[in-house]
Amino acid sequence: MNKIGVNIFLALLVFFQLQNSQAAEFTAHGIVDLRVSQVSSSDKSYLTGGQGKFALADGLQFSIAQAGADLSVTWDNGLSAHGVVNAFLKGTGDGESSVANITEVYFKYRTLPSASGYRLQTRVGIFYPDISLENNAYAWASKDTLNSSTINTWIGEEIRVLGSEFKLTRLGRMNDDAFDLSLSATAFVNNDPTGALLAWHGWTTSSRQTLWTEKRIFPWFPALEDGQALAGQARKSDPFLEIDDRIGYHVRGEWLLHRKGELSAGYYDNRATPYIVIDGQYAWRTRFFHLGTRWKFNRNVTLVAQYLSGDTLMQSHLKEDVVNNDYTSAFISLTYKWQQLIGNKKHRSTIRLEDFSIRDNDNTWGDNNNEDGQALTLSHSYRFTKHWLLLAEFNYIDSHRPARYYTHQAVDLVEKQLQLAARYFF
Amino acid sequence: MLLTLLLLPNISNANTCNNKTEINTCVQVFVKSKTGQELGDLVVYLEPLDGQVLDKSHKEVVVGQRDKSFTPYITVSQTNSKVNFVNQDNITHHIYSAESENKFSFKIRAGTTHSLTQFDQANEIAMGCNIHDWMSGYLLVVNTPYFDKTDELGQVSFNLAKKGKYKVVVWHPQMQAENNRMIMEQDITKHNTFTFTLKNELESIPTQESDDDFEFLSDY
Repeated sequence: MNKIGVNIFLALLVFFQLQNSQAAEFTAHGIVDLRVSQVSSSDKSYLTGGQGKFALADGLQFSIAQAGADLSVTWDNGLSAHGVVNAFLKGTGDGESSVANITEVYFKYRTLPSASGYRLQTRVGIFYPDISLENNAYAWASKDTLNSSTINTWIGEEIRVLGSEFKLTRLGRMNDDAFDLSLSATAFVNNDPTGALLAWHGWTTSSRQTLWTEKRIFPWFPALEDGQALAGQARKSDPFLEIDDRIGYHVRGEWLLHRKGELSAGYYDNRATPYIVIDGQYAWRTRFFHLGTRWKFNRNVTLVAQYLSGDTLMQSHLKEDVVNNDYTSAFISLTYKWQQLIGNKKHRSTIRLEDFSIRDNDNTWGDNNNEDGQALTLSHSYRFTKHWLLLAEFNYIDSHRPARYYTHQAVDLVEKQLQLAARYFF
Repeated sequence: MLLTLLLLPNISNANTCNNKTEINTCVQVFVKSKTGQELGDLVVYLEPLDGQVLDKSHKEVVVGQRDKSFTPYITVSQTNSKVNFVNQDNITHHIYSAESENKFSFKIRAGTTHSLTQFDQANEIAMGCNIHDWMSGYLLVVNTPYFDKTDELGQVSFNLAKKGKYKVVVWHPQMQAENNRMIMEQDITKHNTFTFTLKNELESIPTQESDDDFEFLSDY
């Protein structure tokens, strides 16, 4: 799909450009994130098949944590084409190899509102379902912190779809209401193995996104060995595959109160058939619901909170449960803009608290997926110039994860890191 | 307060009928709230009722977009005048009116001007931006060259070229009255002063401001 998809996208771009006599507007935005991290976690991070919950392993590490570009062409009739490319370059220490590819490619069409304030928006292509309330900066970067929460690190790692989204919005301004209402429904394919990485490395926190068609490694555990229940599983998971040709869906509702914030709720179900396996990649029946709010208490204080809870199921060809997990994660974050104290809008501080868990409901030997943990993030950002932001962030995770025993590590582990970053937005 | 007092004479000269050398008939209109406070930025216009033939207004009509808001919030224009939309931002806007009689939409690039000339009927036109949903502005099209907005002292004045009967109207999109306006019919023969006192407080004017002031958001 990768090369074909990009080629189709480019062909369509040229086609629309030729067909459409109206002027097109090209825009290019993006982010470069240079980072220094002092990590106290594990000798291998989850990105290189270890148990560390951060992007990098122990020590003082340098990395380009993200180089992303968000390119779009917009025509006057409401149609636009978007391509997002991300690169994650090899960091020092046990950093994974450099990778670059598309993360999203889609067409978007937005109608004008009707006289009664109804508007329809459609997205077709490869995109993130509308779930994260943190990753709304260019190229899906998180806005207030360097590391995304465990919920949105997982969304960035395993939730991506090839599909069509229809979103109906009722604008309040045409109805003398102070709020807008939106309902969206997405039908999708190519997200069948999702749930595998969450099961096998647990909840993690970083700014890494999985690139389209990218395979991701996970820690070793005994059930992968010959003769064991998961011997047929490939050593890398390929989350954006279609295994069983069944269409999944995501629905979401949002209530947005003007100048205050929003409340949203949604449900995702990939409707995968859990006992089908192709080339070592299983279909995992993954379902979850999510709740979110963003609320501005006053000009200085904004709350963002999300809750996600669901299950995932993977079975043998005999339809016996091999992995059957329930998982939940929640965070609450407060961002303070130092407008009054320092007299400008250049400083922001964020505190985020998280609680996460995975409950393993199956009896598969050598594959314990249970997990329980809490995380704390303290972040401060200073807008140095118009385009450069300097950030300092402290991340703390305390987790209980029995699977660490398989690789002779402490089941109860406290991981900490301090990060300094210079982020350039364009 | 001191500053206000110092500025007072100048401001009142601009919008009052103090100029005794004026040969035309001068009409001064005051608009006050229910509690007697002067109200600025309300539209006042005088429509001829005796068939007086009046010259067309030569005022330049500008609907600005600045800091992702309609600036000013309210623009007034005479029918069949050219209305200039001026985008002072460094991003594109997608201006529209969704009402059936006055439906229009166009994209306007950073720093450019887009002119519309199709407004041949008196009407109030609510406008939005399809990229920035919080943007909200009004264009009031009136059938007279005598239109203006009240100053911060709640006053406005007109030099009328023709005497006779006029409909004096005060309008604001947030006025809690029938058709968002108050109307007096007056025979104007000499210098006249009219005062409108609103029966209800104005509803709150929507703040044209995004919920999120972070500049590098990927949204639409």
